[in-house]
Amino acid sequence: MDLTYSLEDLAFRERARRWFEANTPRHELTTLEQRRSWHRTLYEAGYVGMGWPREYGGRDATPMQQAIVADEMARVNAPPTINGLGIGIVGPTIIVHGTEAQKQRYLRKILSAEELWCQLYSEPNAGSDLASLRTRAEDRGDHFEVTGQKIWTSGGLIADWGLLLARTDPRVPKHKGISCFLISLRQPGVEVRPLKQITGSAEFAEVFMTQARVEKSDLIGRLGQGWEIAQTTLSYERGGNSLARVTRYAMAFRQLVESTRTLRRSGRPLLDDPVVRGRLGRLYAELEVQRYAALRVLSALEKGESPGPASSITKLSYSEFEKRFYEVALEILGPYGQASSGLPANLTLPVVGSSGHGNTWPYAFLWSRAGTIYSGSSEIQKNVIGERVLGLPKEPRADRVKV
Amino acid sequence: MDFAFNPDQQLLRDSARGFLDAHCPSTVVRALWDDARGESESMWKDMAQLGWLGLTLPEAVGGSALGMVETAILLEEMGRAAYPGPYLSTVLAATALAEAGSPDQQRRWLGAIAAGAARATVAVLDTDWSWEPAAIATRAVRATGGFTLTGTKRFVPWAHVADVVIVPAQAPEGLSLFLVERAAPGLTLGAIQGIDLGTRWATLTLDAVPVAAEAALGPPAQGEALLQRVLQRGAVGAAAEMLGAARRCLDMSVAYAKVREQFGQPIGAFQAIRHKCAEMLMEVENAHAATYYAAWATDTGAEDAALAASVAKAYVGDAARQVCGEAIQVHGGIGFTWEYDLHLYVKRAKALETMYGDADHHRELIVRRLAS
Ligand SMILES: Cc1cc2nc3c(=O)[nH]c(=O)nc-3n(C[C@H](O)[C@H](O)[C@H](O)COP(=O)(O)OP(=O)(O)OC[C@H]3O[C@@H](n4cnc5c(N)ncnc54)[C@H](O)[C@@H]3O)c2cc1C
Repeated sequence: MDLTYSLEDLAFRERARRWFEANTPRHELTTLEQRRSWHRTLYEAGYVGMGWPREYGGRDATPMQQAIVADEMARVNAPPTINGLGIGIVGPTIIVHGTEAQKQRYLRKILSAEELWCQLYSEPNAGSDLASLRTRAEDRGDHFEVTGQKIWTSGGLIADWGLLLARTDPRVPKHKGISCFLISLRQPGVEVRPLKQITGSAEFAEVFMTQARVEKSDLIGRLGQGWEIAQTTLSYERGGNSLARVTRYAMAFRQLVESTRTLRRSGRPLLDDPVVRGRLGRLYAELEVQRYAALRVLSALEKGESPGPASSITKLSYSEFEKRFYEVALEILGPYGQASSGLPANLTLPVVGSSGHGNTWPYAFLWSRAGTIYSGSSEIQKNVIGERVLGLPKEPRADRVKV
Repeated sequence: MDFAFNPDQQLLRDSARGFLDAHCPSTVVRALWDDARGESESMWKDMAQLGWLGLTLPEAVGGSALGMVETAILLEEMGRAAYPGPYLSTVLAATALAEAGSPDQQRRWLGAIAAGAARATVAVLDTDWSWEPAAIATRAVRATGGFTLTGTKRFVPWAHVADVVIVPAQAPEGLSLFLVERAAPGLTLGAIQGIDLGTRWATLTLDAVPVAAEAALGPPAQGEALLQRVLQRGAVGAAAEMLGAARRCLDMSVAYAKVREQFGQPIGAFQAIRHKCAEMLMEVENAHAATYYAAWATDTGAEDAALAASVAKAYVGDAARQVCGEAIQVHGGIGFTWEYDLHLYVKRAKALETMYGDADHHRELIVRRLAS
């Protein structure tokens, strides 16, 4: 055991810290062009797609370096990149499973955010049971024709392209008849409708495809290999930047302590109330443990070990923690935790949520409900942990009997 | 950054597990539960042979000068075995002696402890049940050539087998720590039976017990800082032992869920049981990260060492309670029987939950540190 950072990592962190302190935009980015421009600034500084191989514009950065940059971004509350799904999921999928032509055609434009991407997996009737998806892609000789509906598409409203899962063979068992495609959303057969979230904003969408066109050259991997490809995609999604998340929790926690010092109840600061202190102490202990756990995962990744299904443990742990954290924070803050505006400046309690967006307790509280649903719900993670980590018997399921 | 054990640490862990599996199976634990003394003299000697008793002590007295990480590795295995004996209490006292003891005190005790010829403990709690050093009411009054100690210490671990007890008391200079031999006049012991028959406690009554001036441990008035460090190590050590007990409960639950059948299925196929097991694993893995982070921080004198110790004790205490409780539930009726071994680990974890500061106490320490 040696939990010190290496000298290289410390120097790397120092450089990144100085860069972010100097370059982070001071004002909230409101327009798409502003966000794109911030993304390009990050890209030119080498902070986008860092983990990608050099030949595709990346830096071959270690997991630790990637974590450090994410962490430093969180620390100065830098706005996130605009093409998060492109960088985190689509690009790596193309790198692993794509043809050389696909790599040449798409990767640079993903990195530079010239083309924005979304992930078209979930459907109204296929969420956790993703393999039961019904969107069809039919071979029309020189192209595929796609018809179906996708839902909960993050970034769908601004995306130019989507990574699509569609059924290409309805006659084989459900996991085997799925293929993976790259589809342009800028075409007549595609309609994108905003879907308003419980936070009040619309960062995701519904996508309707009617005889939409996908070029033959935009099939990823083999026909019928879509499910296998989706599994690797999901593992990118569950890995990595938990250190940055913890930094955001820690910033929110400091804000919470500050608020309990400022706010008075029954004539004394909230912070003096032993019940409040007990709750704060518990939250902080849990928060720190998320940090140690993140470091443990990183140290395994550094050695080239893949955390595999164990990454499900981390995902389950931090997403459940985040939910509890904001629940308790709002209990502690009482009515003040519910206000997003309208209070005198010294009683307005800003906070940084884990999304990097929004700056109020109600927003962070509501957003925290998403983490245990997306990217494999907590229940699905527990199934994975039970079966693949603990080796418990599989549950009897109708679709397994059929296969 | 490397969170995994190094090869030496891995070896220590493997040999500890091997030794305890062979010499401390549940049959032995149960026999010691029924034993008046409660620990095995021969196992203690074997542990000295293996170098466990001098693990943290200087090489000059026969120790190996290792740290809290290695101690935690052993304690985790002891928790996993529900090993009954004064290991943690002796290590805490011996480490304090090695840190602050005078050359005379070290000569008198450290070699003997490393060799397995002496045992020691620390008596923290007074009748006022608080882990705050300020709450200690036992008094040290000046007398010719030294002091007399008067007060009542409760829940002193393994005092009945300890040759020497470290007793914190309020002296004129402030809180001071004294070495008191168990055979000292005016000192009487009364056993307290706790929930875990593998953890022995005593009430230690000090009625004007005379101690020489040289019996003070470390400079006067630095007693509080020294006691805080003892409690910090105690918190990490107890966390490690609870972690071991919790992991054992998890392992037993998973093994049982694979073979126990109801409604024509192994119960592990039911989500209600499988999800419990997954949550237990998550708690155990988090507890592992918390324990070893704190142990490492203690060894390296990291800035956040005291905070990390409190985080570990508070978190692992909660986690172990959760995991052990769910283990009984997963086992159903058999988990509630005396015959089945589960309760050995459940009770060990429960006893440790309160030792060296319970979760409420450590949560308060955390907030004090953060809000100051
Ligand atoms: C903020 C957000 C962003 C998202 N972004 C995207 C995106 O960009 N692209 C995309 O494709 N999708 C996206 N999703 C969709 C997400 O992946 C799905 O919501 C998720 O897979 C759950 O599916 P569902 O909503 O249909 O819920 P369901 O699958 O209907 O689940 C409902 C409940 O049943 C439980 N459940 C389901 N199956 C089981 C089981 N076998 N055992 C036990 N319990 C079970 C679930 O845990 C849940 O509690 C996003 C979702 C959110 C909330």
